[in-house]
Amino acid sequence: MKVDASPILKNIGEELNQIQNIAINARKNLVLMHRCDKHIHMASSLSSIDIIAALLTKYIKRDANPLNKDWFILSKGHAAPALYAVLTEIGVIPKDELIKINSINSILQNHPDVDSPGVDMATGSLGQGLSFAIGIATWIKYRNGRGRVFVLIGDGEQDEGQIWEAITHAATLKLNNLIVIVDWNCSQLDDVTEIVKPKYYLPFVWSAIGWRVLWCDGHDVISIVSTINEALESNRPTVIFAKTIHNHGVDLNSDSLSQAVEEPIDGGSTINRNA
Amino acid sequence: MEAVQLTGMRDVIGEILIELGKEISDLVVITADVGKPTRVYNFGQKFPDRYYNVGIAEQHMIDFAAGLASAGALPIVAAFAMFILRAWEQIRNTVARMNLNVKIVATHAGYSDHADGSSHQALEDIAVMRVIPHVNVVVPADIADIRRSFRAIVAEVRGPVYYRIGRDYAPPITEDHNYEFTLGRAYTLRDGHDVTIIGAGPILYEALIAAEMLKKMGVSASVINLLSIKPIDVDTIEKTARATGRIVTIEEHVIYGGIGSAVAEVIAERYPVPMRFIGAKTFGRSAKSVRELLDYFNINSKAIVKTCLEVIKYGDRRA
Repeated sequence: MKVDASPILKNIGEELNQIQNIAINARKNLVLMHRCDKHIHMASSLSSIDIIAALLTKYIKRDANPLNKDWFILSKGHAAPALYAVLTEIGVIPKDELIKINSINSILQNHPDVDSPGVDMATGSLGQGLSFAIGIATWIKYRNGRGRVFVLIGDGEQDEGQIWEAITHAATLKLNNLIVIVDWNCSQLDDVTEIVKPKYYLPFVWSAIGWRVLWCDGHDVISIVSTINEALESNRPTVIFAKTIHNHGVDLNSDSLSQAVEEPIDGGSTINRNA
Repeated sequence: MEAVQLTGMRDVIGEILIELGKEISDLVVITADVGKPTRVYNFGQKFPDRYYNVGIAEQHMIDFAAGLASAGALPIVAAFAMFILRAWEQIRNTVARMNLNVKIVATHAGYSDHADGSSHQALEDIAVMRVIPHVNVVVPADIADIRRSFRAIVAEVRGPVYYRIGRDYAPPITEDHNYEFTLGRAYTLRDGHDVTIIGAGPILYEALIAAEMLKKMGVSASVINLLSIKPIDVDTIEKTARATGRIVTIEEHVIYGGIGSAVAEVIAERYPVPMRFIGAKTFGRSAKSVRELLDYFNINSKAIVKTCLEVIKYGDRRA
C-alpha cells in the first residue's frame, strides 16, 4: 500500500510554524509592555513564553462548561505578562490593552486575576496553582468531563512545602487529565537556584511519588509539542521538566538575573523593585 | 456544673452533612486526616466518591477545595480551626480573591479542645478570618443554632464562609427560640434596658446565667447572639446601644480583633457608648474540662456580672 505522508507532515509543519510565530510576536508584545512598565517580570516571562504559546495555541480549548474546557493554571503568576502577550496573539485580549498593563484602570495586572480575559486562576502567591488544578482535575474526572488541566510552575516555586502536599495527593488520585510543566529556568528571586537551594533531585522525587516524568527543551516548539503529546498518552499524572533560560530571546541589556530592569546601585549591581 | 447534652457540635455537623449529601449531588467533603474527630468521616462512609482525605496537608486542602469549587462542585472543608489557620494565606489569596463557594467548617475552636492545650486551642481565628474581603464568619451558639444555620449556609449562601464550632461542649442556649437564620442578622436572646451583653458561640451560656444573676441584683441585661460576625448586624447593635447605653462583649477568643472589636467598630461609628471586653488575653492550656478553662481565664458568668456592674457606673447614653 502506498502511503503519502506529505499532507500530515504539512499540517504538522503549519501548526509548529503557527506556534513559532505566536511565540515570536508574543515576545515583541512583552518588549512593548516592558517599555511601558518596568515593573513587569521579564526574565521569568521570557523563560515561560514558548511553553505558554504552545499550550494556548495548540492544546487549550475554551468551552463554557467547566468540565469540558481545558484549563491553564499559571501557578508562577509573576509570568503573567507572558500569558497576556500570548492571549493577545490568539485574540483573547485586545492588543491596545497591553500598553496599559499595571495602569490603575487596566484589565491587566502584574499578577493574574480572574477578571482578566483568558485567566483561569488568580495567582501570584507561589505554590498554590497545583493544588487548585488537582481540585479541578478531580471534579472533571468524577463527572466524566473532557477537560484537561495544564499547570505551569517554576523551579524555584518548588521550595514551597505545599508542592509536596499537592504532588503526593495527585499521585494517589491517579489523575490522567493533569499535566504539569516545570519552567526549569534555574533562577529564583535572590539568585540562581544552585545558590539559593539546589533542586537537582526534584525529578527523582516526583518520579518516586508516582508521577510520570518527562523532559523537554522549553524554547523548542517541536520538543515542547512532542513531549506534551507524549504526556497526554498517560494513565497517571505527568510532569514535564522544561529546560529554559531566563530572559531567553530578548537582549534586555541588563543584569541577566534581575526580574526587571532597575536603576543601578553601588556600582552596577541591581535591586529588585518587583520583590 | 457541666450542662446536660446528648451530643456535641461536631456530631450534628456530621449528621447534617449526610442529609445534604443525599440532596445535593455536587456536595463534596474535604478533610486533612481529621475525618474522625470532625465527624465528617461518616459522610465518607456514606459517599466515598465525594469524600477526600488529603492527608495532613491543610494548605493543599484549601486550594484543592477551591479547584473543586471552580469546576462546579460544592466543597465543604472540615478541619480543626487551629490548623486551618496555617492555610490562612490560601484562603485569602485563592478562595477569597476569586470569591469561591467554599465552606470551611472549623471545629475544636476556642477552648473546646480542653485537654490538648494551647497548640490546639484556636483563640485568634475570628480576628484573622473576618479581615479577609468576601469571607463571611458565622459562629453558632449551640446545637439548635447549628441546625438552623448550617443547612442554609451550605445550600443558600454563595461565597466563602468560615463556620466556627467547638468540639463537644454545647450547653443549650437558643433551644427555646424559634428565629430563622439569615446571614448578617444578630438575634436578641433576652431583652433588657440597663446593659447589653453581646457574644457568640457556647460562651453565651455564661451570658444568660449572668443576666439571670444581674436580674436578682436589679439590673436588666439584654443578651444578643452575634451568630453572624461578618457580615455584622449593624442595625441591631446600634438599636441595643441606644436602648441600654452600655455594652459588654464576651468571646471564647482573644479580645483583640475578635467579636468585641467587631462590635466596637460598629458602636464607634453609629452610637458610641461605654464598652467592656471579656475574652482571652493569652494562650490557653490543658485542663480537665472547658468549664475549668473558662474559670481559670476568668471568662465566665461571674466576670460578666462584675463587668456589667462596673460599666453601668459610666454615664447613661440611653437614647
